[in-house]
Amino acid sequence: MEPIRILLSRCSALFRRRNLDEDLDAELSSHIEFAVEENMKRGMSAQQARTRALREFGGVTQTKEAYRVQQGLPFLEAVLIDVRYGLRQLRKSPAFAATAILTLALGIGGMTAVFSVVEAVLLRPLPFKDSGQLLSLHEWVREDPHEFNVTAPDVLIFQRESKAFTGEGGYVGAGYDVTGAGAPFHAAAERVTASLFPVLGVDPLLGRTFTQKEDENTAPVTVISYSLWRERFQSDPGVLGKTIDLDRRPYTIIGVMPRNFEFPLDAGRLSRRDLWVPMSFTPVEKNSEGSNYDYGLVARLRPGVSTAQAQIDVNRVIAGIQPRYTAVAGLHLQGYFRTLKEETVHSARPFLNILLGAVSLIMLIACVNIANLLLVRAASRRREFGVRLALGAARRIVLRQLLTESLLLSAIGGTIGAALAVVLVHAAAVHLPDSLPRLGEIAIRWPLFAAASGFAGVTGVLCGVAPALASMRTDVLDSLRDGSHAAGQGRSQYNLQSVLVILETALALLLLVASGLLLRSFAKMLETDPGFQPQHVLTASLSLPRHDYPTQQKVDEFYAELQRRVETLPGVRTVSFSSNIPIVGQNGGRLITPEGHVRSVGEGFLIASTYLVQGNYFQTLHIPLIRGRYLDDRDVQAGAPMVAIISQSFAETYFHGKDPIGLRMKVGDRFDGPMPAITVVGVVGDVKQGALDQPTVAQMYEPISQAAAALGPMAAMLGVAGNMDVVIRTADDPSRLLPSLEKIVHQLDPLLVVSRAHTMDEIVAATESSRRFNTAILTAFAAIALVLSLLGIYGVLAYAVAQRTREIAIRMALGASRKVVLLRTLRYALTVAVMGVVGGLIASIGLTHFLKSLLYGVKPLDSATIAGAVLVLLCCSALAALIPAQRAASIDPMRALRAE
Amino acid sequence: MGESKSDVLQGTLDLMVLKTLESMGSLHGYAIARRIEQVSDNTLIMNQGTIYPALLRLQQRKWIKAGWGISETGRRAKFYSLCRIGRKQIEMETENWERIAATMARFLAPSH
Repeated sequence: MEPIRILLSRCSALFRRRNLDEDLDAELSSHIEFAVEENMKRGMSAQQARTRALREFGGVTQTKEAYRVQQGLPFLEAVLIDVRYGLRQLRKSPAFAATAILTLALGIGGMTAVFSVVEAVLLRPLPFKDSGQLLSLHEWVREDPHEFNVTAPDVLIFQRESKAFTGEGGYVGAGYDVTGAGAPFHAAAERVTASLFPVLGVDPLLGRTFTQKEDENTAPVTVISYSLWRERFQSDPGVLGKTIDLDRRPYTIIGVMPRNFEFPLDAGRLSRRDLWVPMSFTPVEKNSEGSNYDYGLVARLRPGVSTAQAQIDVNRVIAGIQPRYTAVAGLHLQGYFRTLKEETVHSARPFLNILLGAVSLIMLIACVNIANLLLVRAASRRREFGVRLALGAARRIVLRQLLTESLLLSAIGGTIGAALAVVLVHAAAVHLPDSLPRLGEIAIRWPLFAAASGFAGVTGVLCGVAPALASMRTDVLDSLRDGSHAAGQGRSQYNLQSVLVILETALALLLLVASGLLLRSFAKMLETDPGFQPQHVLTASLSLPRHDYPTQQKVDEFYAELQRRVETLPGVRTVSFSSNIPIVGQNGGRLITPEGHVRSVGEGFLIASTYLVQGNYFQTLHIPLIRGRYLDDRDVQAGAPMVAIISQSFAETYFHGKDPIGLRMKVGDRFDGPMPAITVVGVVGDVKQGALDQPTVAQMYEPISQAAAALGPMAAMLGVAGNMDVVIRTADDPSRLLPSLEKIVHQLDPLLVVSRAHTMDEIVAATESSRRFNTAILTAFAAIALVLSLLGIYGVLAYAVAQRTREIAIRMALGASRKVVLLRTLRYALTVAVMGVVGGLIASIGLTHFLKSLLYGVKPLDSATIAGAVLVLLCCSALAALIPAQRAASIDPMRALRAE
Repeated sequence: MGESKSDVLQGTLDLMVLKTLESMGSLHGYAIARRIEQVSDNTLIMNQGTIYPALLRLQQRKWIKAGWGISETGRRAKFYSLCRIGRKQIEMETENWERIAATMARFLAPSH
């Protein structure tokens, strides 16, 4: 109790120092006055009385000192004095302090932010129980290079047959129009087997998850997400047992998942599921062997089972499935798995690794720069130390002050860096491209901040104190002797600095080349023709619930009426519908066999992305006709011959350059099967199915009215094509049309939700955002690296010129012209820059191939980019050297020599 | 100012201050110093200044408290008075001191 009271009192005294000092002064002087008064009463003269009083008091100064020691915390006060001294030193050279602090802040802040993101996305275990044991199972067929998930029947077979796992959960995406919970909206949902939540080892926040029985009996129950619960049910704890309508069928809410639960962990912010429903496979699904590989399968490895044993088990199960596949489609099925974590993060890894590499380079450059700055500073203060030591300062104290100064720089830089990291991590969570998963988990990781700060701090101490220590070891007189600082040690330090600058320059060039490559890729992407004109086009998705639109006829009637009504709106040019739209379309497709095509053994399948269209689709998107004709009214009539329009790459790849008009093909892997033949009537240009920097795949278009017929016996697979994208070309701003579109849709069906309404321009821009972000961030890094390395060059030259003023002055006195001095300084700068460039080029040749996955239309060793980067670096180096060079050239030899 | 003055034993000053305040009530620093000198018949050599760190030490322990006031002669001065904890402490310190004194007395007794 008592020690604490004393400590508190001492601590609080630290903050009231000035007041307390005044207080003590007043008290002591009143003491003296009392004594003087008393002495004078005893008859002494004023002078005598005061002398006596002071003598009896003892030393006033000693008393004050003893009092202060008792009052405060002496050690802390010594530190505070050092800190104050350090701050004063830093204030005296603001350019140095600002540069060092900013450099540190950038390094530490950037490093912390990027590492935090990488940790959250790549390194942290998935938020499931023993998540390292969770595997994601896949199938692939030897005949096709694509990677698949698994089919619905195989989910059931794995659940039944496999022995290596304690459980398997199947899942597949779904979407529902939700009514009965506020304004109707389109929910992202996932159909999951009853086993999924137990396999993941996640318990609901409220209620329960599905039972096996509910799964098997297609029970209308649902588990909702935390955000849906909060936003639509105001976090009502009594939500269990309430019903919501999914596609107009009532579902009972039986559970609410915890706040951070997300499954599946798809990339992007909009991929979070709003609710989960039982998988409840339909009879069609159960019999869809080898046709639909959209089902995810996650399994928990049985404890004690190795992955090799699991692979053997998977092979065994696949071998059991295989015969049926051979029978149905002649496919050779294989199975493999990877961890769920790898599955989740692998697509994000290249970009994040590059980000990590880039920010590590920045950190390295920052440390090199700090080293450089501190070396310059230590050298310029050698004389100061010499004087102080000569005057009797203890080495220990001088060193302590230097250490304090270095740590002070690190502390201020670190504090700003921490603030920067907080801002950056916050920005990252909001602005990182949607191509990354787990964005919701991003948060600043303070241990990483500590590590980055520690790294910078150690650099600061090593580079700030070590040279000072070395210079103190040498003769004090030596450092004081006139002119000696330009030779000897100065020279070796100068060389060390040159090496640091060369290193910096090399790293900067590497980043410049990388950012140049990304900038070129971005430009290439912007130049890429999407194959259609996105301007003035509005799209939106409608999904007609099967319940209310049970037949294709009802669906067709709805869309025909919608088209008729929308066409009458002012400003509407053309209206069409399609099962698929460019850029954000489905890449999945159908197997196609042209007539006369015989598939050789081991040959891949011919797959085309399919668009079922209605209305003037091509005219709406301005997809150019290359041969033949567009689809028109005659194709819609009952009994019309089966026709299709194919894309140019389809014609080239599958018809080998023959004129395809009039040629026939069939859906499926053989032409002699029971499927009806489809005749090609037109060829149109290719459109981009995904982002502009993604490769193009073959496309085909069929009238929606013929879609069911084209599949022949497999038509049941298709069901009713109630989900369509509305595509409207307008005369002016397409987004203005949206309210009228919604109004018309609601007139036709008041419960229908118009979802994913965007202009085509927005859709194209959104797919550019990921590359735009990558490019912007790497370019920013390169700019920082460039500025830092230029500061390095400037710093070294400025130091050299200052140190060699005498030498330069002598040269000039002996007849060297200003021009020669200027050129000599510049020559040094360029020599260093060129050496840096050489190093950077070697590094670039070795490292740019890591960028490959981020490049588009540019090779990793693009000569124009490299040449540009070199040019920028050399020009900037020359500019950075110009100021000190001019200072050198403007030295007045007479004045300089006299000053020395 | 005789030659036989002795130094104040470490720690005894605190007790002297406490006792002084106990018997005299609120006093300023000079008065405390003078009182201690008088009570000891000027046999203690005491730099009056040493009273101040002791006063501070006692304040930090919350045994005494201080406040500015006006003396009888109209001078502004800082007055010290006992706190509740300090009053209790006097008993303990006194016992403590008596034990030491008794022990010392036994050592010094000629018949030992």
